[in-house]
Amino acid sequence: MTELILQALFSGVLIGGVYALVALGLALAFGAMRIINLAHGELVLLAAYMAYLVESRTGLDPYFAIPLALVVVGAASWALFLLVDKIQDHRELNSLILTFAIGIILTNAILLIFASDMRTTSSPALQDAVSLGDVFAMRGEIIAFVLSVVLMGVLWWWLKSSWYGRAVRAVSSNRNAARLMGINPARIETVSFLVAGALAAFAGVALYTMSVVQPATGHALTVKAFIITVLAGVGSIPGVFLGAVLLGVTEALTVTLASSALQELAGMVLFLLVLFLLPNGLFGARARRG
Amino acid sequence: MTVTSATSVSAAIRRSGGRGMALGAGLVVLALLPLAAGASPYLLGLLISALILSGLALSWALLGNLGGMVSFGHAAFFGVGSYASALLAAKLGVPVLLAIPLGGVIATLSSLAMLPALRLSGPYFALAILAYAQIFRILATELDWLTGGAAGLQRYPGLPTLFGINLADRAGSYVLVLACVALFALVYVVLRKSHIGTALRAISDSEDATRVVGVNATLLKSWMLFLSAFIAGVFGALNAHIIGFLEPDYAFSGIWSVMPIIAAVFGGYRSVLGPIFGAVVIYLFDQVIAKSLIPVGHQILLGILLAVMVLLAPNGLSGLVARIFSKTAEKHHAGA
Amino acid sequence: MLELDAVTVRFGGLTALANISFRIKAGEIVGLVGPNGAGKTTLFNSISGLVKARGRIAFDGKDVTGLPLHKRARAGIGRTFQIPQPMQHLSVRENLAVAQVFGAGRHDEARIDEILAVMELSHKAEADAATALALQELKRLEIAKALATEPKLLLLDEVLAGLESNAKKSFMVKLKELHKLFGLTIVIVEHDIETISGLCTRAVVLNFGQLIADGTPTEVFNNPAVVESYTGTAHA
Repeated sequence: MTELILQALFSGVLIGGVYALVALGLALAFGAMRIINLAHGELVLLAAYMAYLVESRTGLDPYFAIPLALVVVGAASWALFLLVDKIQDHRELNSLILTFAIGIILTNAILLIFASDMRTTSSPALQDAVSLGDVFAMRGEIIAFVLSVVLMGVLWWWLKSSWYGRAVRAVSSNRNAARLMGINPARIETVSFLVAGALAAFAGVALYTMSVVQPATGHALTVKAFIITVLAGVGSIPGVFLGAVLLGVTEALTVTLASSALQELAGMVLFLLVLFLLPNGLFGARARRG
Repeated sequence: MTVTSATSVSAAIRRSGGRGMALGAGLVVLALLPLAAGASPYLLGLLISALILSGLALSWALLGNLGGMVSFGHAAFFGVGSYASALLAAKLGVPVLLAIPLGGVIATLSSLAMLPALRLSGPYFALAILAYAQIFRILATELDWLTGGAAGLQRYPGLPTLFGINLADRAGSYVLVLACVALFALVYVVLRKSHIGTALRAISDSEDATRVVGVNATLLKSWMLFLSAFIAGVFGALNAHIIGFLEPDYAFSGIWSVMPIIAAVFGGYRSVLGPIFGAVVIYLFDQVIAKSLIPVGHQILLGILLAVMVLLAPNGLSGLVARIFSKTAEKHHAGA
Repeated sequence: MLELDAVTVRFGGLTALANISFRIKAGEIVGLVGPNGAGKTTLFNSISGLVKARGRIAFDGKDVTGLPLHKRARAGIGRTFQIPQPMQHLSVRENLAVAQVFGAGRHDEARIDEILAVMELSHKAEADAATALALQELKRLEIAKALATEPKLLLLDEVLAGLESNAKKSFMVKLKELHKLFGLTIVIVEHDIETISGLCTRAVVLNFGQLIADGTPTEVFNNPAVVESYTGTAHA
């Protein structure tokens, strides 16, 4: 029993890395434009299917799909930004509906092209079990986790020290003040969406190498990213990572101790508890309060 | 001057009220046409489903327009309403025509769980309600001692005969659903005209300014959530008794969250008639045209339609119509 | 009528109001004075319920410290905002009607007409509040809205700012008229010493979140601490 629980904790932490990438993409776009991109999960899904496409057509390792995923998802994210930017009145409400519509379009486009079957990597190298003491993981899971952590580090460094990163933070904290300092918010928003798209591209490919995807996964990922945001509050990368790991672990424990059908419910219950008991999030962030 | 303006205002209200009445009556007559013309059972069946969607779209638009909340989870209320009504009728022997409004009441109770989410600001509320809808679908699947689980529910009573009208046949169901749509549209109109409606209009843009004159904004918004959940639950219940079977993946399907949004945005969610007509058009388009073009994934066309509407005509068809009318009225005015 | 005991407001590490205590009697017109950032608006916010304060606030003999905003409005605390906040997408008349129905708990069109007439807004009654009013009209609408809730206490935040001296004088007459007509108690934030002296029976001075003087306008404006705080910032 202890071993099973340890194993669940371990798997939960590993998937948490990818969840964190998804949630950070959502948070980045929100920070720049005050807009929740309801199609963010579908962008991740798109990348996962690019990995499937490359693997099934060329027989190459799915990680070779990263350049293709970056281009396709980056372009999709940019197109999405251009459309959202066209909205004139009731921006908050209409942008929600618009990104929701784009999510529907992407999900159904993937359904049309790739059918509704579940897909996962067929690479034996990625599916090999690696043992670390008492617990096991697929090699793909380890690689995906390491990749996620490295990306989070890069993102953290970028936001902290690059000129763009500082501008992104300035725009998300005070748009008008940033404009007065000579920052062009439109340019920053574009960059934020491109970076969010890049994060989604990596997350999607990683997800494909360690888990199964199907057209409905995109929607579920958006919900997961949201739950993580509620757990963590928006703002800090370590906070989002902890929230993501917490969600991953909760899901994995539920599957181990109860049933896989309850996996989704576990995240929701966690989310409800936080909402009821800790309205400021686990880490006390207040950004999402109205 | 005040006297003349007051009389002219009240006259205008009476005029528009009278016009509204006439319009409503005309619409009901129009809606009864398919019956008089002896429409085929297939067509009536399509129209019944379309009207169910009209009711759902109306409840969505009420929450969006008066409550200032975008719901991506109306499937939750629709599903809870359908299961509650079917189970009340099947397990407790509650008469179906009583079970249907009770289904609405239970859907309202389920919306109580969403109250803490009202604290969240706009976009986060939208996401929260998206998450809630999933909870209810999973619960319906997992609580199989109550709901029959994934296998679903089949043996529960259908609609009865009332005043000699068999509500279970297509024509009877059609009239019943139509009457419910008309009733809730009337409730919506009255509510919108009331002081509560005016205050709600103010809250969406100027919350502090509205609260500081004594308006309990949170309470009013909660009421809109309850009313919207009730209406959605009632139409879920109606649907359950008309189609005669339920399973979690159907009753809580994302379709019931997606379709009302598309219908209401297409027709114009800030008007009362917009969502009702939008639903009929969208449903018929989806079932008759989109499905035959693209059997799997036909929702892509609806997604495109929704995106195009938000970008080009965010106030929907009713907004377009109003704009054309006001333009001609202006011309008229300028000519006079 | 209004009692404040050790009212304290902190924003993070910043103390916006420290231990403010004073009482206001029914029928008074009190000037609230102090340099920018002294905490005047925060004090209004804590009395009307827009920010949470520690300490005790009692109104009409009842403790209102824990009451939400809308309940304080219904209890009879009316206020205006320094930057007018009309209810958008509503006409001027609808603004007053909402305030009356929810704030006073009744609907009386004749009374609304009366308030509109007193506030010189009758000609704009059906105009859209957010778009069709000039700044001074918006300020009068702020007061009209507050009056429609039938308040006992009216908190006025810089309603006289931006008026030239003749307009200011006639508006002071207007405020005295309102005071008598509606039987109000008024607290008004105002910078101008002459206005305070001409309008108020009493002045309360805040500086850096602390109450530094309280008395008749003449007493207060001869108080060295007040003079220092005023000249210190006025010339800064």
